[in-house]
Parts: sequence; C-alpha cells; structure tokens
Amino acid sequence: MYLAPDGDEVEIADAAGTFLADAMPIDRLHSPGSADTTATVRRLFGDMGWFALAVPECEGGSGLSAVEHALFFREVGRQCGPVDVLAQCLAANAAIDGGLRGEIIAGRRGVALLVADGEAHRLIGSADSDLGLSVELGCARLFSLAAVPAAPRPSLDPANSLRIVETLPAPLESIDSERTWQLGQLGAAAMLVGIAEAALDLIVDYAKIRETFGRKIGSWQAVRHPCADMAVRLEAARSQLWYAAAAVKERRVDAAVHLDVAKHMANVAALANTDANIQLHGGIGVTDEHNAHLLMKHALLLSRLFGAKRMLLGRLLDARVED
Amino acid sequence: MDLQYSDADRDFRARAREWLKTNVPQHSRPAEGFAAAQFDRDWQRKLYDHGWAGVAWPKEYGGLGLSGLRQVIWYEELARARAPHHINTTYVAMMHAGPTVIARGTDAQKSFHLHRILSGEVLWCQGFSEPNAGSDLAALKTRGVIDGDHIVVTGAKMWTTDAQYADFQELLIRTDPGSERHKGLTWIICDMKTPGIDIKPVRTMLQDEHVSMVFYDDVRIPIANVVGEIGQGWSTALATLSFERGLGFIGDQLELYERVNRAIELAEKTRLEDGRRAIEDDGVAQRLAAIKADCIAIRSMTLGDITETDRTGVPGPKGSMMKLMVTATHKALSEVVSDILGWSFLEFDGDRSAHPWTYDYLWSWVFSISGGTNEIQREITADRVLGLPRAR
Ligand SMILES: Cc1cc2nc3c(=O)[nH]c(=O)nc-3n(C[C@H](O)[C@H](O)[C@H](O)COP(=O)(O)OP(=O)(O)OC[C@H]3O[C@@H](n4cnc5c(N)ncnc54)[C@H](O)[C@@H]3O)c2cc1C
Repeated sequence: MYLAPDGDEVEIADAAGTFLADAMPIDRLHSPGSADTTATVRRLFGDMGWFALAVPECEGGSGLSAVEHALFFREVGRQCGPVDVLAQCLAANAAIDGGLRGEIIAGRRGVALLVADGEAHRLIGSADSDLGLSVELGCARLFSLAAVPAAPRPSLDPANSLRIVETLPAPLESIDSERTWQLGQLGAAAMLVGIAEAALDLIVDYAKIRETFGRKIGSWQAVRHPCADMAVRLEAARSQLWYAAAAVKERRVDAAVHLDVAKHMANVAALANTDANIQLHGGIGVTDEHNAHLLMKHALLLSRLFGAKRMLLGRLLDARVED
Repeated sequence: MDLQYSDADRDFRARAREWLKTNVPQHSRPAEGFAAAQFDRDWQRKLYDHGWAGVAWPKEYGGLGLSGLRQVIWYEELARARAPHHINTTYVAMMHAGPTVIARGTDAQKSFHLHRILSGEVLWCQGFSEPNAGSDLAALKTRGVIDGDHIVVTGAKMWTTDAQYADFQELLIRTDPGSERHKGLTWIICDMKTPGIDIKPVRTMLQDEHVSMVFYDDVRIPIANVVGEIGQGWSTALATLSFERGLGFIGDQLELYERVNRAIELAEKTRLEDGRRAIEDDGVAQRLAAIKADCIAIRSMTLGDITETDRTGVPGPKGSMMKLMVTATHKALSEVVSDILGWSFLEFDGDRSAHPWTYDYLWSWVFSISGGTNEIQREITADRVLGLPRAR
C-alpha cells in the first residue's frame, strides 16, 4: 500500500502541471471574456491526449486510470481551469459511438456540462460547445446543443460562462453506469484540492515577503496559525482524494463512500483556504488584479457540482467503509 | 498509489480479529486508581502471552517486528472489537519509553527494561514538564548534580500522568548548572521507588487524579541509567517526542471512526425535547455526517503517513498536523453528542465508564493540551511544513 503519487504518476502530474500553466494560466482570467475555452486551446488539449487519459487504449485513449485522472484535474484546479475541460473528459470516457468519441478526444467538438436546476438546466462552459453532458448517479446523457436555445446568465466565476437551457432534445447517447459520475466527482474533488493548494501557496509566499511592524507577517502567530490550519485541511482533503482515486481504480466496493468523503473534504478545504487566503492578504486580497478572488469564486462553483454539502452529508450518515 | 494489502497483511488482520473476538475482557475497565492500572497491566500481559505485544517493535527486543501498516491494522481491529483503550497507564512505557530505550539505550538498559515493558510488568511515566516549563520545555530547571557514579536530583516536575502507578520515569533534568535552554540537559531513567521522591496527585476537572506533581529531594540515580549521553538529553527528548507524535495517537485516530458510528446509533434512539429522534434533526444529522467524513479522511491521512514512513524509515512532520485534525474532530464529536443528550449530559460523577461521552468531552482539552498544545503543533506546522519565517 502506498498513498501518494509515485513513479510514472509523478511524471504525468508534472507534465500536466507544466502544460496547464502554459496553455491555460490562471492569469488569463484577468482579461475580459476569457472564461471560455477557445477552439484552439481545445485542440491543443486534444493533440496532447489529455481528454483521453482514462479512456481504454482500445477506444483510442491512453489507458491510464482514475489516479492519473485525479492528478490531471488537481493541476487543472490550480489554474482555475473551466468545468468544460471536465465535461470533455467525461464525455470522452462515456461516449459509445466511436466516431463521436474520436472527435471529442481530439477536441474537435466541445462539450459543456448540463446541471439540472428545477425544471431547467444550467449549462456551464464555452458558448461554442455543441454538445452538452448531464451526469447523474447511475447514468450520463449526451445531447446535441446545435438547435437548443441557451440564455446567457451573468457568472460570478470568471472561469466559466453560465447559460440556462429550458428544454432539451432527446439525448444522442444515454449511458447507464456509475463510472461517469465517479470520474466527475473525482475530477471536481481534485480541482478543489488544486484550488486549496494554490490558495495556501499564495499566502505562504506572500507571508515570507510582506512586512508589517518591522517583521515578516509570516512570523506573526495570527498569520502562522490560520496557515497551519489551511495546511491541515488540505492534507486531510488530499489524503482522502488519493484514497478515493485508488479505490475507484481498484474497483473497491466502498469506492462511492470514499468519493463522497473526498468531495466533501475538498469542498471544505477549498472554501476555507480561499477565504483565509483573501483575509491574510489584507487589502490587496480584495482587489480585482489579485488571483485570490478567482480561486474563491471558482471554488464556490465547483463545490456545487458532483455533490454539494447537503447531498453528500445525507448519503454519508449511514455509509460504511470496508477493511 | 495503491490500496493493496499483502496476503500477509490480510492474514494478520484475520488472525487479530479472530483472537480479539474471544479475548477482549468481558468486564469494563475500572474508572481509575490502582484497580485501573492493574487492569491495564493484565491486558498487556495477556497480549504479551499471546504474541500480540509490540506489533511494530523490533523482533530482537521481543516485538513482532512488523510494519507500521500492520500496526495500523492492529489498532483498527482493537477499535472494532472495542478492546481496552490504548491510551491507558501502559501508554508511556509502550509508546515512548520503550522506543526511546530501543533507539538510544545501552545494552544493559535494553535487556533489563524492554521485556518488562512489553509484558506489562512495569509501568512508566514521563517527567518532562515543570511548573514553568511546559510548552517551553527547554526552560526546565530540575537540577542533577553528578556525585561519583550517581546523579543527585533536586526539583519538581508537573503534570506527570500516572506517576502514582509508575515503576519508572523518563526524567529530563539540567545537569550542567550554568547551562541554558537546550544545552546541558540529561535524559535519565528514574526508579520511582528511590528515596526522596514525593508524589502529590493533582485533581483535574475530569474529577480524577490522572496527573501529579513529583518532588525530588536529593534523589540518587545511578549514572548507568542515563539514556543517550550526559548533557545530550535534548536530543534524546526529541526522539521521545517524535515517537509520541508519530505513532502515539494512531489508536485514538482510528477509534474516532468507531465512536462517530456509536454517536449516530445514539442519535437514532435518543429523543430531543420536542419528541423527535435526534437523528431527525437536520442540524444534528449534518454535523454527525461531517464529523464522520473527517474521521474517514483521518484514516486516509494515517494510512498515507504510515506507508510513507514505512518506505522512508523516518517519521515526517505530519504528526503535528494529524494531532490538530484529530483533536478538532474529537472536540466536535463531543459537542454534538452534548446537544443530543441534552440534560443527561450534565449527569457526571467522574466515572469514565458510566458516562463515557461527558468524560470524552472533558478529555478533549487534555488531548489538545498534553503532548504539545494545539498552538505549539500549529507552530511546528508553520515552521517545518510551510517554512514560514521563524517567530523566535
Ligand atoms: C492531563 C495532562 C497530562 C499531561 N501529562 C504529562 C506527562 O505525563 N508528562 C509531562 O512531562 N507533561 C505532561 N503534560 C504537560 C503538557 O505537556 C503541558 O501541559 C503542555 O505542553 C503545555 O504546557 P503548559 O501547561 O505549561 O502551558 P503553557 O506553556 O504555559 O501555555 C499556556 C498557553 O499559551 C500557549 N502558548 C505557549 N507558548 C506558545 C507559543 N510559543 N506560541 C503560541 N502559543 C503558546 C499554549 O498553547 C497555552 O494555550 C500533561 C498535561 C496535561 C494537561
């Protein structure tokens, strides 16, 4: 048993980190209209094979596992990558039709995420996506959005644009399995862990240089102690993320429980860390030019996807872990 | 990254579960006093006789010589079987005195002490803290003067857990009179029956006599009892503390998961003032579920840390982070149970077995103070994990 990335896993995580910092740096979000993935960026992801990490080789993927999937999305989270990167990956794993799957993997067609909200659906992702993926516990459905009117809504999260879809056509494909939900939950949890890490890194770096009253703020206990608490929350969330990823990879009977816990811990760590990061930066922390608010706003969105607090806690009360 | 247990791990778990099923004591542990200490010795003796003592201790010193992971499995099975709590009067001997003697002791010390510890024949206590040296341990003043082949100790220790039952003590003293802070300290094994030792129990808010003040008036301890070297006691003490923060709390960490399930059972059968079952209250249910998630994550953290330590051979600085996470979760669990139990939570006469939840609530402060306060663990995390500028 070993519960941290090692061997090839480290290499994949490093490669993903470098690629994302270059292709989709968080700083992009300071320019207006940057929320959406452009067709060019989507193709770039496709060329590198990132959408097909966990797709079996016989279906045109890299044949890696839920573990690499989680490692990749942690890096996506660190750069506030948009949710449609996740939707695209999930669709690549779910699509049955080989031709359609190939186009999704290559990034030739864009996929946005559809989330039920009352009678309507929220559509999260690029306006040029012509596919929409909706994922529930036991099934995933892929829709063509070609003829579907989608009304734009303002979006707090600058990393994602938001629209409302009143009615959906019959699905292009309908997949009855838990796998899409599991990969979605794992990806969203991993993005939140990436955000929690990015928030901690930002404040630790700042605490080492900013001075007040003749001392670095990182030497004041009123700064050190919340930073330590951030580290503890993050460590708990990250450990649980690795556990859940390995549990999915190994098809453990209690994988769903570990995923629910991972998502909950990630929600909590990301919301708490992005909050503390703003506070401990002082005035600069609430400015538009700083990245602190980008992390917080993105965490608010992700914490609602693939299990928000009420749903997760409702399921966890009676859950049991094995061993 | 993987969650695979080896066949040997699985076999070990199965054998532990089987053995515990028939061997866990039928009657509960006496609340306190010598009867409790005797109960702990007997349980340790039973473990020893059946080959379960010192799972992670090296074989050459009588342990089972197994991995940290196997140690975790053993604690999980203890918790599942509701076996006697591992933080009891054998704790200091098993969790840090023994490991310190193994790491730094002389051959004579090893051959005299280790099997006595494993078999429950002797209990130990820890004499580090003083009235003015708790968090700031290096401020300690208890004096040791070298006189021939003895060290003569004068001074006082504070907060010594289970001093009145202990046979030996890990004693940290200042042997170099002019020395300051970390220099000039010595770690020595003190036989608690040596003339000149006076033990005065301190009653705690838990209504027990868990800790004592220990006074030393010209107590003569053979130099042969020094562990490590004279004047190098700080380094030996750090080894002791790293055992305490590393493996020391694992049993407690894993037991939390069983305890939260017991709290959920309690919420299912307990009625609130308004007649509803506590579990039907959304606030209670959500808090319990969130604590349960924390407990499951704590288990993942523990497995992650232990398997890392098994691989590298040295415990990292994560012990402090785990202690913070565990004490916060422990406290939160006690608080929600207090809400569930309403008035009956306030019925407490100091009997730990009769009122376990109230006792646990009071214990939550012991947990977040002893072995280094939460504030000190945050300092250690800030320095050693995050590399923030030093406050001192
Ligand atoms: C029930 C119990 C059992 C114990 N058993 C033993 C035992 O068996 N053997 C033994 O040697 N000791 C034992 N201890 C002692 C324990 O280790 C100390 O109580 C603990 O380290 C705190 O020291 P103190 O009580 O002197 O508090 P102080 O050091 O006086 O601290 C007072 C407050 O100030 C805070 N503080 C102090 N320094 C700092 C700092 N640098 N930064 C931020 N905050 C700070 C503390 O966190 C605390 O909140 C026990 C304590 C208890 C309560």
